[in-house]
Amino acid sequence: MQSMAVPGSLAWGAPAMSRRTDDAHERAFALLFEEFSAPIYNYVLRMVADPDRAADITQDTFIKAYKKLDTVTEATSTRSWLYRIATNTAIDDMRRRRNVTTMSDDQPTFANRPDHRPGPEAQVMAATLDERVQRALLSLRPNHRQCLLLSDLEDMSAQQIGEIMGLSYGAVRTLLCRARGEMRRALSNEGFAR
Amino acid sequence: MTMNRHEAYEELISASLHGDLSPDERRRLDAHLDGCDRCRATLASFADQRRIVAGLRHLAPPRDLGARVRAGVEYDALPWYRRPIAIFTGVGGGLAVVAGALLALVLVNGAEEPEVGRDVPTPSATEAQPTPTPFATLPPPTLPGPPATPAPGETPAPIATPMGTPIPASPEPDVYMAMSGTFDDQSLAVVEGSTDDVVTEPEDIPLGPPIAAEMSSDGQWLAFVSEDGLSGMNEVRATRVAQGRADDPDGTPPPDSPIAIGESVVLGRTVAGSPFLERLAWSRDGRYLAFTIADPDGGGTDAWIFEPATEEVWQLTDVGDAYAGTWVTVGAEDDEPGSFEALWVSRADGNVTSYLVSVRDEGDQPLEGVDPATNSLATAEGVFQPLISPNGALAIYWNGRMTRSGDEWLFVEGGAPWLAEHRPDDAGGYAFGNDRQLFSDVTVDRDAFTAAAIAWGPDGDSYAVWDTAWTGVPQAPEGDYPDRSRVYFGRASDPRGLTRFHALDAGDLPADGIVVDVKVSPTSVHLVITVRYPTGGIGEAPRADLILVRRHTGNVADEVETLRSGGWNGPAAFDAHHEIEAP
Repeated sequence: MQSMAVPGSLAWGAPAMSRRTDDAHERAFALLFEEFSAPIYNYVLRMVADPDRAADITQDTFIKAYKKLDTVTEATSTRSWLYRIATNTAIDDMRRRRNVTTMSDDQPTFANRPDHRPGPEAQVMAATLDERVQRALLSLRPNHRQCLLLSDLEDMSAQQIGEIMGLSYGAVRTLLCRARGEMRRALSNEGFAR
Repeated sequence: MTMNRHEAYEELISASLHGDLSPDERRRLDAHLDGCDRCRATLASFADQRRIVAGLRHLAPPRDLGARVRAGVEYDALPWYRRPIAIFTGVGGGLAVVAGALLALVLVNGAEEPEVGRDVPTPSATEAQPTPTPFATLPPPTLPGPPATPAPGETPAPIATPMGTPIPASPEPDVYMAMSGTFDDQSLAVVEGSTDDVVTEPEDIPLGPPIAAEMSSDGQWLAFVSEDGLSGMNEVRATRVAQGRADDPDGTPPPDSPIAIGESVVLGRTVAGSPFLERLAWSRDGRYLAFTIADPDGGGTDAWIFEPATEEVWQLTDVGDAYAGTWVTVGAEDDEPGSFEALWVSRADGNVTSYLVSVRDEGDQPLEGVDPATNSLATAEGVFQPLISPNGALAIYWNGRMTRSGDEWLFVEGGAPWLAEHRPDDAGGYAFGNDRQLFSDVTVDRDAFTAAAIAWGPDGDSYAVWDTAWTGVPQAPEGDYPDRSRVYFGRASDPRGLTRFHALDAGDLPADGIVVDVKVSPTSVHLVITVRYPTGGIGEAPRADLILVRRHTGNVADEVETLRSGGWNGPAAFDAHHEIEAP
């Protein structure tokens, strides 16, 4: 679950038309983009369940990050800072679409969007499992989904989740427990044993 | 709310999955798990779940993501006049918002706006005639002099300039509540006002009758306060009565809720008290309900929020003297995602002050247990529980000194309602300007009002006042005034303010009745009044009639019709589809 382990890490190319002359800023952002573009995309994808929207939100997240990078002073908080931007951007997007709690069946969601890439049968089976888990995630309240993804997909501590969601340590523990209870019922509805 | 002993350990089990337990918590959990099959099963389930979520496939982001980000960065670096139009959805949306705002500015500046303090025409007709004037302003105050002087026993000529209703108005309520049955076997229904058809019959019903009710602007929800038997407590509930609908056919439908039509949610229990505690405030978009809870354990009063779309109920303030007021739609800069709903919350201790607060933080998480004084977007000193008119232009608020009285707060010195304009000011806040006392013919001294109930009409001009608790000397030679048993019906556009002559005719309501709730119809000349009757003793079911009064002035008597009697009927509620859009 390390951020660097995800596939598809992208490189941040040299700007074709740079109005910033600060090379240090460019280098710092290149590192940030290379390390976090794929994890952020996957995190957002699980939040909104739509690859196109996830790409748009990830794009907006990094544009905001580029503009605000100078405000980050401690390297250790960069990850939380970036996830906070991504979370807020995703929530803004969901608010605009009035689609916070449910998604209709006819929308091109991740769950019902065909994956055209060829692959072995195991991949097909995995996709089916993935689809059921995604449906269960989508049935959660947004803050429960967010909390659970940060904990279990991104392997963050309650402290880090609190920094991202603006909650106290105790509030995160309570929220996470409720999210797990809700997810337990949702997974059960999807046919998972317990 | 109480937890069973397993639930207390579930939080520890959840935290143990990512090593967030203290040594003491670890020991306690281990000791419990040794002897509890149920919690061991929970641990196994949560661990499976964590493994399943962690095992979700990771997908590669689009290959052109870097190029898109770079293009976006460079787009933002360009001066605005060199930017291509609508390269990105988000940016294009922003441009559309800016264009819309510019267009609105042109339209607003081009429109003839009434001057503050201009004279108000005095039509002689008693029927409300639509006048599309969305910018309400107050006529010049006439204080300190007495109102224009009709002879005793006469009512003044009608003064109104109704603001107009875009939808043909009907005097009957959209819905009303009806409770029937014997004392120990009651049933509750939400009934359509024009047809008497039952809209829904919630299965889980309160122990006592409903005494206040407000419908959300999107018509989905009916929030109500009911008595909790004979306990001296009230309950706050919300019942879903319909599917949401957009304000216009092409509009965005309101957020859905996981709560089914006909289901009720208990939002809280509060000590029964003054009308200040019975305020149910829906946001204009129907997303939030704000209400006030008086803690029976001595914690005082605080504002609470209910969001139907997420089923979340949370305590917004934790200061012990806070009351929910009215929602305001706050605009945003062009680089922000959009406008949002903020709530006027009032604090009673010290100098009464209202604070405009957001109910969610920047991460869209509920703000819980805040002190509004330190989290406010705007502050209004000397303003308590402002009731903003439906068109957003006017406010009726309270001023005076309050003190703690049991579990709530009441005015003890100089308490009185005031009428004011409510507009954004140059400093980014809101001004309660051009204010004047609502009752123009009472002298507010040390002893004055302790509380009263007030409701705006949908036109943003008419209003009703009842349950006036007055502790001063009587203000009229002919008897009690302000009179707690009377209903006063006035208009903001009336330059003479509210006077004793604005009381409904003495014979309109049953002599032994007690007014529980009043709603102003969209016609602006009708009132729908819930009147309860004294019960004969324990074991007798509560009774209330729903009465429609058509107000006349001059020498013409009011027209009175009992809409429904037998059992408990009321309160009534109107949705907001008769409102005028705020400027």
